[in-house]
Amino acid sequence: MNRGVISYSLLHLFVYILALFILWEWLRPIPIVTDTAEIGWFVAFAFVSAALIYLRIPLYVMLPLLFLFSLWGLHELFGEGTLFSREGASAVIWRFIEEFRQNASVIWGGDFSGLTNFFRTFLLFVLISLITYLLYYWVFQTRRVFFFLLATIVYITVLDTFTEADASQAVVRIVVIGFFMITLLHLSGIQEEEQMIGRRSKTFVPAAWLYTLIIMATAAVAVGMFAPKPEPQWDDPVPSMQAFVTGDGGSETVSRVGYGDNDEELGGGFIQDEGPVFEALAEEPVYWRGETKDVYTGRGWETSNEDFRDSLTYGAEGQIDYYLYDFIEPPDFIDEEDVSRRSAEIAMADEAEFSHLFYPGQLLNAEIGNITAETGGETISGNDLDFQTDRLNGRINASSAGADAHLQNYTLDYMDVTFPIHELRELSEDDPDGITGRYLQLPDDLPERVIDLAAELTEDEDNRYDRAVAVEDHLHGPDFDYVTEDVAVPGEDEDYVDQFLFETQEGYCDNYSTAMVVLLRAADIPARWVKGFTAGEEIENGEDMNRYEVTNANAHSWVEVYFPEVGWIPFEPTQGFDNYADFEEDFDIDIDDTEDENDEQPGEQENDPFLNEDTADNEREGAEGIGAAVDRFAGTGFTELIMITLAVVILSIGMYVNKHRILRRVYMQYYSVFKQDKTFDAAYSRLLWLIGDRGYPKRSDETLREYAHRIDKVFRTSEMTKLTEVYERRYYGGVTTDDDWLSNKDRWEFMMEKIN
Amino acid sequence: MSENQQNHVSLHPAIDQLITNIETVVVGKTREIELSIVALLSGGHVLLEDVPGVGKTMLVRAMAKSIGADFKRIQFTPDLLPSDVTGVSVFNQKTMEFQFRKGPVMSHIVLADEINRTSPKTQAALLEALEEGSVTIDGETRMLQSPFLVMATQNPIEYSGTYPLPEAQLDRFLFKFRIGYPTKSEELDMLGRVEKHHPIENIQPVLSLEDILAMKKEAAEVTASEKVKEYIIDLVSATREHHNVSLGASPRASIALMSASQAYAYVQGRSYIIPDDVKYLAPYVLQHRIILHSDAKLSSTTNERVIKDIIEHISVPFGDK
Repeated sequence: MNRGVISYSLLHLFVYILALFILWEWLRPIPIVTDTAEIGWFVAFAFVSAALIYLRIPLYVMLPLLFLFSLWGLHELFGEGTLFSREGASAVIWRFIEEFRQNASVIWGGDFSGLTNFFRTFLLFVLISLITYLLYYWVFQTRRVFFFLLATIVYITVLDTFTEADASQAVVRIVVIGFFMITLLHLSGIQEEEQMIGRRSKTFVPAAWLYTLIIMATAAVAVGMFAPKPEPQWDDPVPSMQAFVTGDGGSETVSRVGYGDNDEELGGGFIQDEGPVFEALAEEPVYWRGETKDVYTGRGWETSNEDFRDSLTYGAEGQIDYYLYDFIEPPDFIDEEDVSRRSAEIAMADEAEFSHLFYPGQLLNAEIGNITAETGGETISGNDLDFQTDRLNGRINASSAGADAHLQNYTLDYMDVTFPIHELRELSEDDPDGITGRYLQLPDDLPERVIDLAAELTEDEDNRYDRAVAVEDHLHGPDFDYVTEDVAVPGEDEDYVDQFLFETQEGYCDNYSTAMVVLLRAADIPARWVKGFTAGEEIENGEDMNRYEVTNANAHSWVEVYFPEVGWIPFEPTQGFDNYADFEEDFDIDIDDTEDENDEQPGEQENDPFLNEDTADNEREGAEGIGAAVDRFAGTGFTELIMITLAVVILSIGMYVNKHRILRRVYMQYYSVFKQDKTFDAAYSRLLWLIGDRGYPKRSDETLREYAHRIDKVFRTSEMTKLTEVYERRYYGGVTTDDDWLSNKDRWEFMMEKIN
Repeated sequence: MSENQQNHVSLHPAIDQLITNIETVVVGKTREIELSIVALLSGGHVLLEDVPGVGKTMLVRAMAKSIGADFKRIQFTPDLLPSDVTGVSVFNQKTMEFQFRKGPVMSHIVLADEINRTSPKTQAALLEALEEGSVTIDGETRMLQSPFLVMATQNPIEYSGTYPLPEAQLDRFLFKFRIGYPTKSEELDMLGRVEKHHPIENIQPVLSLEDILAMKKEAAEVTASEKVKEYIIDLVSATREHHNVSLGASPRASIALMSASQAYAYVQGRSYIIPDDVKYLAPYVLQHRIILHSDAKLSSTTNERVIKDIIEHISVPFGDK
């Protein structure tokens, strides 16, 4: 086949266009992984430069054209006004000259990080035009695109695994395009060979090929999408790899582990870390409250200001100076029997370093004498600790000599209240100013559709309780999935809640709780965001008290809604979790039943979020068929597996297709080790075999020399004849010299290279 | 077999010189010259089947002059007697003794022209000399010269007034080939050379007879590996089994093919035979040694085609030792 001549067949043009689409796939993730705003100009530029290269415009025309086009792009990206005016044009040209001068000196100084965005963008334009030329060369000259495709898959897979970019669609596109590219290039090769032996095939693509190709591509994609994909059998290695690279437990923005202090950037996966935090002795499973946050920034939570009281002070009834409820003695509408005082004991794990208390419900008392903490390696009694209570967010912090002390053991008394729902429905909605001023805050740029959704959800309800439940129900609904892996991080201009509610619709507690708070606030209901731990796993069942183990995986966030006269009542919007607060449905209904219903063990499901995900997935798949499968494909935990499988399959196909090349490499490595003279015979036989495999076998009536002449003609060399003469001397003449192999190795390697 | 595949790059230097010398006279017949030299070195003889005037005499004379050998030409006619070939004892009346007069066959290089025009008796006398390397006259055996090369020509047998050589005797010749007409450019070249005076007059010896004898000895030293010998036998025995052949080549053909291959390998500057040598020489060695079925002849199959067919079906030895 004459590879030196460029053929301008329509087929190659088609393949070239497909290659440009693959290039597009390279550009697509750029806005996600960098702060580049848009790629439209770059894609357009790629297509324009490809067109110019294809049309073989002379270089002295093409380069200025490309330069002008990139100037236009630079102007649109960085400049103002229209380029097509005297001012616009001169402005961009002057700017370019100025930037060029400035950046040239930066480059000269070796300070590449000092390059301006303008100039970097220009360099990207240059790079794109070079790549389009490279693609042209691959398609029209070498006729090989496999490694380009493979590189694309690897690139996309790496981005998908380690960044927020989602490649599930891209992989499908690449596979389909790749099928077509490789097949069409192969087809063109066959057509050329046919023409060389005089058989002409006039059709563009024979129909049989086309049908086979389409069927194969469809089948491959369909199998890829619908084939059952088992759960990964090993722990997701990505977080630990990231930890290894970044040196910490994964960056806060990308994924969350356990209970952290910083909630300013939410999103990313939730890592199931089973590391213990504390063991608690309690009468019933409860949520362990750590603190609340009140300011939603659009990306996460902050605290507006901290109102610390200097010590763990007690009010009149021995109550800690932090009020969850607006009452000390229950108001009339709450039965006394529904209010109970309970106690709990907490023993922190050695590795847990928390300086604030975790407590269930309204904290009544913490026995100072029973508190122990550790600071600087010493154990201190509670009497020697300073306590600060943040009256706004409920964080009760222990310190010693100004430094945070790590709490070890403490005993708590708390108030457990069962709320009568019908009374909650009757309550007024006159919130005190202190509440509305702080707990109705929303970011100014909250997307309108969030507010619209809040209004829509709550419009049919006439009281605060039902509105809160409506929002909670919406989040419990089938639109949302509980997942902990591959949870999106909002982009530069995106709102965390908006993204969850309308785009991804999948996430874990932070997504649900934040969304509920924002929706409630949008519906003028004061609400705040609470973080702490769920009840944990029951490890010991006692007569009165049970022992629970709480791990980092139990870290949780939920919602508290303000009810006038009552105070802050918790709600649980996260799917698969139950509200630990008790509500009484109605006096007429058997109380036990209701309580049982609400008393469901909260710890039961929460430790196993995957269980939830599975059931949800199965239901969806049954109900929605293809849509669900596509969703799932585009979805979460499977993506890596699919990617890996795909990569392996493509790699195997690639190895099969390129087996000559791979074998050649192997043999070249293998024989290069040997230095003996007799290696020559084996190496020569191997070469003959490979050439035969390459499509030029030796006919049995052919002598080696005739064959060597033929091969030299095919590959335009003379080395095969020379190698053959050495072999003849050794084989037919029995005349060997000591350096037959070493002195002919170069020739042999040359031929090995040549036959591919 | 392609014409140009035998390159002369690694040719034995003395042979190369000899060929170049002969080529000053004979234009464009390198292969035939080379074959003649191979025959000379392996002690064989050549049968040319050709029309008159294509340069047979020139080839033989040029070769004889180049190696300083004496050269005789015998024009076979129907009335030629055996003694005209071998020589005769005549009674010298002065000395009153029989005195032997050498026949033309007692030279180094003999051109036996139109051998099929003479009677079988005379033909037999020549052929016996070829085979035995000696002639017996009046009960006395006389050795022939060495080196000794006979180039016999015969007109294509369709011509009238000929005595075709008995097939059984044809295998006394090592090779049979044609010289054939030159191409236009070669003929033009030839005319240019003979325009002033014939180049044969100026040709000088480049080798001595001693050189040739030494070379003959060296050529006999050329080795043939077992694989190559098997290849020779495979080729020869295939002639006996071929469906178009009624009489295949004899074991003498195997010997001839091997010794010719040795000389050819020597000419190529090698000390061992490669299958290419055998494959190249096989048609020249074998085609006059087989007799086709009469129905094969009727279907215009020729000996050349049969040999070609055989070569194409015998695999060349190659592989692990």
